[in-house]
Amino acid sequence: MSQVFHDIEKKILETLQKVPNQNPEQLSKNTELSIDQIRRGIEWLRLKGFAIVNESEKITFSLGPNGLDSLKNGLPERKLINMLKDEPKTFEQIRSALSGAGFNVAIANAKKNGWIKIEKDNSDSLVSIKEKPIETPEEKLLSFIGEKTVSQEEITNSLAMKILLSRPNYIIQTSEKLKTISLTDAALSLDTSISSSGAIDVEADVSSIFAARTHPLQDTIDEIREIFVNLGFSEIFGSMTQSSFWNFDALFTPQDHPARELQDTFYLEDMELKNPATSSQIKNISSSHSKNWKYDWKLSESQKMVLRTHTTCVTIKHLAEQKPENARIFSLGRVFRNEKVSYKHLVEFNQIEGIVIGNNTTLRDLMGIQKEFYKKLGLTKIKFWPTFFPYTEPSLQTMVYNEKLGKWIELFGMGIFRPEVTKPLGIDKPVLAWGGGIERIAMLKYELDDVREFYNNNLSWLRSV
Amino acid sequence: MPVIELNISRIQKLVSGNVSKKQILDVLPFLGLDIESEDGDKIRIEYSPNRPDYSTEFGVALGLQGLLGIKKGIQKTSIKKKGKFAIKVDSSLTKIRPYVTGIIAKNGTLDSDDIQQLMWMQEDLHNGIGRKRKKSSIGLHDADKISFPLTYTTTSREHKFVPLNSNTEQTIDEILNNTEQGQNYGWVIENAKNIPIILDSEQNTISFPPIINSALTTVTSNTKNILIEVTGINKDSVEDALSIVMSTLKMAGFEFEELKISGNKNSTPQLKDRTIIYDPKFTSEILGIDMSLSNMVACMKKCRLDASVKGKKIACIIPPYRFDIFGQMDLVEEIALGYGIANIEPKLSPSTTIGQKNDITIKTELIRKTAVGLGFLEALNASLTSKKILYNMTKRNSSQIISVLDSKSQEHTILRDSLLPGLLENLSKNIHESYPQKLFESGVVFSKGEPIHESINLAVIIAYKDTNYSELKAIMQSLLRTNFKINSKTKTSKNQELFVEGRHADIFVNEKKIGEIGEINTEILETFRIRTSVAGFEIKLSGLIFD
Repeated sequence: MSQVFHDIEKKILETLQKVPNQNPEQLSKNTELSIDQIRRGIEWLRLKGFAIVNESEKITFSLGPNGLDSLKNGLPERKLINMLKDEPKTFEQIRSALSGAGFNVAIANAKKNGWIKIEKDNSDSLVSIKEKPIETPEEKLLSFIGEKTVSQEEITNSLAMKILLSRPNYIIQTSEKLKTISLTDAALSLDTSISSSGAIDVEADVSSIFAARTHPLQDTIDEIREIFVNLGFSEIFGSMTQSSFWNFDALFTPQDHPARELQDTFYLEDMELKNPATSSQIKNISSSHSKNWKYDWKLSESQKMVLRTHTTCVTIKHLAEQKPENARIFSLGRVFRNEKVSYKHLVEFNQIEGIVIGNNTTLRDLMGIQKEFYKKLGLTKIKFWPTFFPYTEPSLQTMVYNEKLGKWIELFGMGIFRPEVTKPLGIDKPVLAWGGGIERIAMLKYELDDVREFYNNNLSWLRSV
Repeated sequence: MPVIELNISRIQKLVSGNVSKKQILDVLPFLGLDIESEDGDKIRIEYSPNRPDYSTEFGVALGLQGLLGIKKGIQKTSIKKKGKFAIKVDSSLTKIRPYVTGIIAKNGTLDSDDIQQLMWMQEDLHNGIGRKRKKSSIGLHDADKISFPLTYTTTSREHKFVPLNSNTEQTIDEILNNTEQGQNYGWVIENAKNIPIILDSEQNTISFPPIINSALTTVTSNTKNILIEVTGINKDSVEDALSIVMSTLKMAGFEFEELKISGNKNSTPQLKDRTIIYDPKFTSEILGIDMSLSNMVACMKKCRLDASVKGKKIACIIPPYRFDIFGQMDLVEEIALGYGIANIEPKLSPSTTIGQKNDITIKTELIRKTAVGLGFLEALNASLTSKKILYNMTKRNSSQIISVLDSKSQEHTILRDSLLPGLLENLSKNIHESYPQKLFESGVVFSKGEPIHESINLAVIIAYKDTNYSELKAIMQSLLRTNFKINSKTKTSKNQELFVEGRHADIFVNEKKIGEIGEINTEILETFRIRTSVAGFEIKLSGLIFD
């Protein structure tokens, strides 16, 4: 049982500890709380086992209309006696003075009290005083009650009350349920000063509310962006819709490569970019393709607009335009693949890609950056495997050990841009490139098995994760 | 990436030298082969499309021998020139499938597992470098069933022969219509009147390239001598494909004899090794490893290349099947593989640049923070969405619709031009969750331009029984005022079906319209099965808080 009290409870407890057995009205008076507050407080204390509520019935009496009349003018029999004080009177005379039912009552009671005698005449009866009438118990009771309300306990002559009650409209009897509040032994010994003012039951259940928050996937995106920035990379921004030239041709992907087919890449209906690049860029890329891949490169293929399949198109375009001597840059955003959506594939997901040009651009440096990147993500058990990308050589992928799954998971890819990519665009220095999908990392972080959850916007998940 | 199935015990036999299963499994990834699954003796591996020579146990074993140090350098392959085998090409093929190449593989034996491996290899080569048989396709035949010389010529659609896996003669048209190969690859020859065909000296049909071989020359476990023919549209690519098959059959124990090829610009393939002079400076410049020339030579040899020191350079000899090697950088990678990727020590050099976020990111982060501060939960929706949600259910104007071609998913066919429909869809999926529901999203939307324009929008939506226009307007104005000190106004706008009549407006900043705000029409809410009041707004951030 928690012993934390509301202010109301505390005041009631304190006053009852001083004066036991009080009714709500008394409590209200003593605590200066409203009757409503007192009622609530008593109920709380009762439920907590600190208060006992004794219920009793209180009967009270006051005078009715006939009683009040008699208090002023005497009972009917007293009125009769007063009439007869000077001389006897006939029934006829009395009846006209004491109207209605008063006559019978007066005659009957005066006679019962032995106050009068009645002599029969030939036409009427004559009433005279027999002895000096004293004050009756009923009369005493009437004056005792007077205009007050008295309780049953105050009535000493219960017979007189019984008589008066039997006479109509003399006495109004009311009964009222009474509550008296007392404290249990436990409550009597409580020290209410211990709990500070304003304390509440801190262990009680409360209803749940939900925090407004950023999306968990966006949090991971922001976290990874922050790591790139900390590693000295600056963010560039590029379009999601790209010409095939920058998405494929500039990255040494031959025009008949399977990745360029409709079933892998989203082409935009009826959309072409007439001048995807400068004429010298087009010329150089065209001859690089024709020479190395041995086919006729077509400008028309490179003009087709696609939803970018990677963010590399953004970085390579930036390099071709800016030709920086020494730079670390990255681009981040959505990329698209024409795939069937499943628990492990989305048509649209986030990718980040960073490049390094200038100093310290060996494969070992690239691996060093990777190691540091994963370390900042809290992933320390990593290794590198060779892999293949059309536009980098050599190419590696990072494998990260996942303790929960008990296996190695493939994360970011990396490599050095092929000279077939950089030379035609006028970039002479080696360019390190690395990056990959962000959802995979977010899935590990949030322990999800189904990548679709990130885009379901399921409130129960968003509110609880 | 293609996946193949291998038997460890067969690999062990091919590799020889008593290697354990564990050794094999440990080394495979360092050849660039990812182990997909492992089931007792069987494993499934994924190889990169630039290395089709890894499409069989033979090719994988050849690679493993190198990295394990069992056999190094090029697998020596000699071609006998006796002039017994020849093929002549007819000029009628020029516009259809002009090139053929081939060779005779002799004195080998194949068991049924070997044949299975060769079939899978053929399939992978067809789909990969063969570009679904258009660029090149391969036929393997029992050479002893053939009377040489051969002719590569054309025929009519009525030409008949018994195709592979059949007992009855069929016409070309029947084969195209009735066989699996015909249905899958018939598109390569399209509607050509003249059909490519290989005939022997007795006019027996040997092959109908690129569709199907004849039953006559089926390769079985009794086959000793094999004719390999490759047809296609490019001389280099057919010879590339041939070189893969040759290297594979060499590893399987075959020897080779020349097939003379002539006619219509065709010639007998040289199948010679190439030499590239490697500049050793790249090893330190690119890999960051200091290595002696002889070490580099050893690394190359481990990758089944030949190499020798030539003064201050290295002469590297490359077999024909390594047509993935273009130049110096490819040789750098070979050295790295031979050195062992696991042996390369990562090195962290301090950055000489200071990183920074893009202005768009910084500003968007600020406004997202305010939205969260105002009690909104962030949603993320796909930018490639459906016509149903974007236009139909929201009754929005679809005249500027931007579609993608041939999407595999009905829900992802249209580029969004607005964020609000997605948020309505989110509310619709969450009607059983407690209210109020308050969501926001920032993201790219697309519109037609030169040829397409992208901008970043922000949309906010609020759903519960007492929400209304005024509540949302206060939120919208607070969002723009906080941090950005932008004062916005709302102006009565012409009716549109998304909003309740008389309870929506255009949002203006400095006399420029930046968005729309309003209570969502109850009819639209009904189509989304939302049974409470909803109000939303969307503004264009591009041009407002960043350029």
